[in-house]
Amino acid sequence: MKRLLYWFLPFILSAAGAAQDWVRGGTGLGVERVRLATSDFKPSTADANNAALLKTFNDVLWNDLDNAGIFDLVSKSFYPLQEPGQPSEVNFSAWNSPPPNASMLAFGNLGAAAGKVTVQGWLYDVKNEKSPQVLGKQYTDNATSDAVRVIAHRFADEIIFRLGGGIAGIAETKIYFVSKRTGSKEIWMMDYDGANQQQVTHLGTISLSPRISPDGSRLAFSSITKSGWEIMMYSFDLNRMVSFPRFGGMNLSPSWSPEGKVAFSSSRNGYPNIFVVDASGGNSRRLTNDQGPDIAPTWNRKTGGQIAFVSGRTGLPQIYTMEADGTNLQRVTDQGYAVSPNWSPNGQFLTFSWMRKYGPGEPGSNDLYLMDVASKQWVQLTHDAGRNDFPCWSPDGRHIVFQSHRSGTDEIWTMLADGSNVKQLTFKGENTQPNWSWK
Amino acid sequence: MAAITDIYSEHGQLRRPLAWSLGLHVGFTAFVVLYAVFINGVRGTGWGSGGGGDAMGATLVSSVPLPANPTETQNVLATESKGLSKSQPTVQEKEPEAIPIPDKNAKTRMKPAPVKSATQRKPQPEPEESNQIPYGEGGPVSKLYSMSAGGATGAFEFPGSGGDFGTRYAWYVRVIQQKVQDNWMKYEVDPRITEARRVYLVFDVMRDGHPANVQVEQSSGVPSLDQSAVRALQRIDTFGPLPSDYSGNKISVEWWFDYSKK
Repeated sequence: MKRLLYWFLPFILSAAGAAQDWVRGGTGLGVERVRLATSDFKPSTADANNAALLKTFNDVLWNDLDNAGIFDLVSKSFYPLQEPGQPSEVNFSAWNSPPPNASMLAFGNLGAAAGKVTVQGWLYDVKNEKSPQVLGKQYTDNATSDAVRVIAHRFADEIIFRLGGGIAGIAETKIYFVSKRTGSKEIWMMDYDGANQQQVTHLGTISLSPRISPDGSRLAFSSITKSGWEIMMYSFDLNRMVSFPRFGGMNLSPSWSPEGKVAFSSSRNGYPNIFVVDASGGNSRRLTNDQGPDIAPTWNRKTGGQIAFVSGRTGLPQIYTMEADGTNLQRVTDQGYAVSPNWSPNGQFLTFSWMRKYGPGEPGSNDLYLMDVASKQWVQLTHDAGRNDFPCWSPDGRHIVFQSHRSGTDEIWTMLADGSNVKQLTFKGENTQPNWSWK
Repeated sequence: MAAITDIYSEHGQLRRPLAWSLGLHVGFTAFVVLYAVFINGVRGTGWGSGGGGDAMGATLVSSVPLPANPTETQNVLATESKGLSKSQPTVQEKEPEAIPIPDKNAKTRMKPAPVKSATQRKPQPEPEESNQIPYGEGGPVSKLYSMSAGGATGAFEFPGSGGDFGTRYAWYVRVIQQKVQDNWMKYEVDPRITEARRVYLVFDVMRDGHPANVQVEQSSGVPSLDQSAVRALQRIDTFGPLPSDYSGNKISVEWWFDYSKK
């Protein structure tokens, strides 16, 4: 009997082990980025449109993965000659050893037929030959360049979602900004990579500080009207302006909370103070009560429980934080000239524009900074590159879009949140005050 | 009454056996002495001088079970590492040196005693053998490190340690590694600490990817380091959903953190 038990012991133990999977690992030395190879997709049909569609698809996919900031993309010159279009064509040893030395491989095929295009895409862990597949997707849409662009964005977002730890990619997000290219300052929008720039408002006055709502359906901004600066509201559901109360005085810099409330600066009682209203403009509440101008509120995007804003109550503008009910006021910056705070999606960081040395004989420059809200430790993100202002976080918390004068005119730029990988998005006219959508 | 016999009155004859016994003893002693003097003396080799030529039963080193984690802990209570607590050397107290009474006529001033400032380093735990890069050392920890660092397969393999999640979904383990690294704020650790022992956490990753049941399995001895590791996990909302073709509803993770400013 005992001997029988010994015979079965391994089986009993393995069954117990299978019930609970253990993973062991650790963190000490730095982690390198994933080496990702993106093989060009192959045509799966003999349609004449394939070549143009494939070029769009491959370029967009490559750019999205490159912009994600979490991959080390393997240069295409290292790729083996035989690039796969199907799982059966993957030659593991050609990809997982130098020169490509990739740990992940994205590949697939695209085929147009009768006005429709079908894309099959896979993501393989090429260092794990036994169970390589991480992702397999199929998309079908009209065979147009725009549709293929969207498919490439979606597939890139899927890869980023899996390998980036559950944070959705930003390939389908939008950026709203102010542009003067038509002569007056109007609100414009574009894809996150600068493509598809289109005008939103046609008011013919001056419109500033666009802020998109968390669900992406409404855009709040401030604009000059007959009664002065007022908060305006544009609906993307209706594609037109919708009514919003006029408060009188100067109403500037709206900001959405995650629950859909709007905070803004209003001088209806004499001095510019921070107010909060519902999305419809009702239930107005005043949060600050002092003489110094309080402007540019921004909500803690994760909790909605705190607001950071700029106040000039002690002279030069400084950044303050408070609870969403106006209590627990704390000054965050200790010197210089600090404006344009923006709260990160994980609620942990503030980014803002700061002239740390300000005054005669101290030639400071407007640079962007990142501050850990809890510890108040900060990092400088831009260096020696003109005036930089209006930083805004991307929804994945990995990118920051901002306005910079480094090219000679004010344009929209993006960078990774550590200050690297700076890219210019707009080139035409004067473009300012970018705002990244919430998803 | 005649049946009663007096056993004490029966005297056996002991002379013969005694003589035999004496003879044998003397003979044996003589044999031993003679053997030692002549036979061994002739050979001239003692014990352990080698050259015996006989084989000894030897155990191969590789089959000797190595200790799991050769980290010394100062915790004298029972821990998972077996019996590696280190006895503290007794501190020998020096007699305070007599301070000379200042002479009135003496011109030299007394030196003020060195002030102990608050920033002075507190007595640190004894520096121990570094466990930062236990490359090539025995034990599962170093094996793990070398596997993850070498990146030959990118997979973590633990024969008999419960499931093959690490092998099948090596990419997910890598995601955990990346995410923990990104969220571990080392400035939360006491700045006076330059090096510390490994801190081990255990936690679960649920089906939807969020970490749960975060616990310190083995402390580093530095509270702020333990705390920073726990906070790193608390900051993480999700590691991303577990792979869709994985059947379990959670995985258990043991994760270590190495801290060094050197």
